[in-house]
Amino acid sequence: MSLDLSRVKKAGIVGVPPLAVIRELYDGGIELVDLDATLVAADLECAVTLLPRVYCAILRTVVVNGLHLDLDLIVIDTGPGKCDAAAHTARIMAEKIATPVVTCENRDRDHFGNPVCESGLPLIKKMELITEGVKLPYNKNNDLPPVPASAGFWGVPPRDFSLLELFQDTTHVYGWSRCMENKTPADGTLEAMCNPAVPTVFFAQSFCAKTALARHLAASHPHGLYVDVDATATASCRAKIEAFLELSGAKQ
Amino acid sequence: MIIADFGTSYCKIAQDHEKPRIVASRDLDRGFRADLATGHNGRRRSGRYVNELIALARGGEALIGEGDFLLLDCGSRDIKFVRYRDGRLDDMGWNAECGASMGFTIELLERYYDLDFTKGKRPEKTFPVTCGVLGMSAIFDAISNGMAEREAVAGLIRGIAENAFRFAGSPEKVYLSGGLCENRTFVESFPCKTIVLGRFVLIEGLKRILTHG
Repeated sequence: MSLDLSRVKKAGIVGVPPLAVIRELYDGGIELVDLDATLVAADLECAVTLLPRVYCAILRTVVVNGLHLDLDLIVIDTGPGKCDAAAHTARIMAEKIATPVVTCENRDRDHFGNPVCESGLPLIKKMELITEGVKLPYNKNNDLPPVPASAGFWGVPPRDFSLLELFQDTTHVYGWSRCMENKTPADGTLEAMCNPAVPTVFFAQSFCAKTALARHLAASHPHGLYVDVDATATASCRAKIEAFLELSGAKQ
Repeated sequence: MIIADFGTSYCKIAQDHEKPRIVASRDLDRGFRADLATGHNGRRRSGRYVNELIALARGGEALIGEGDFLLLDCGSRDIKFVRYRDGRLDDMGWNAECGASMGFTIELLERYYDLDFTKGKRPEKTFPVTCGVLGMSAIFDAISNGMAEREAVAGLIRGIAENAFRFAGSPEKVYLSGGLCENRTFVESFPCKTIVLGRFVLIEGLKRILTHG
């Protein structure tokens, strides 16, 4: 993909655009913001002008960000590592908002490794580094030492990071988040990988196609718990995770 | 030492070695606090809070002498279960949103129509209900179409029991706890073997946590 970046100072990205695109933006000194994350205070309901209410909360967040942020460009990965819903959202945003929207397909296969996923950092910090890392053409966390896992978190970075507070620091990260750090979002084999030796929470955003994979993997895992969460984690969902980690022995 | 299960509609309170007592939540003194508690209102009323699924699981461990069991708690606001296999937690669920307020709805309808379901058998008809509010709509429609009030509410109770049964994974045998245990029509409506443990299972779980840590 060749972009005219001459007038672009600030760009939003959705998903994990290909390394070549990230490198082009990075080398051009363009400020990148991750539109998958909650960046503005506006209510998620604002997205209803472009998307149905019952829709992936991440993509609704993308739309809210796109409507409220002053951006010169939005780059959306619509490749096999993303989803149909992202492709539809990209089309709608291209037609309905003023900011130019370009789509790309990430099929990268070069592995950048998973030092963050296997580190002893708090799970929230791990997820922050993984999502921040999408904006960089390299993995800046290679020095992090691995720790033995006591639990697993499988899934995408949740819209509501607060549920990650429930996990201990020795939780390893699997699923699409692991693919993100590895910069291979379309690597289905890596995405389906998990550790059967540790209790694992299989998470997906409600209304996401990955709910099927998450539930299937949880059912196949010797000690898995499936949860799906929409915009924010409910008290019962948090309690389920908390109880699972304690009763499974993952958290002493 | 006061331990308590502060439920949405009823609180179960045990002090030292006394038999636990039940108090309607609305009648409990606003300043009442426990040393160790669980339940919907437990966090703000106690020095130490234990989440309800953990209390339920520990209660099951204390009361059920089996390595494999499924314990389902049916309360006013929610339903939750734990399943153990080979003495270890195997699955769990907590349904507090979709499918919620079933117990509360039954109590509301019993009072409204002046009905008593502490004795009863499995109703012949069932209502496919997904939550208390939708269930109530179905009841009012059925009654306005000529169904007897008792028959309509009993059908709702059976529908709720069948929902809870499916939510728990359609087990062959289920241990029941929570306020709906006292509703015989509800218990009889389960399409599987039921063993009623009563309303103090979470209290027993808290006691086990006190002794075992």
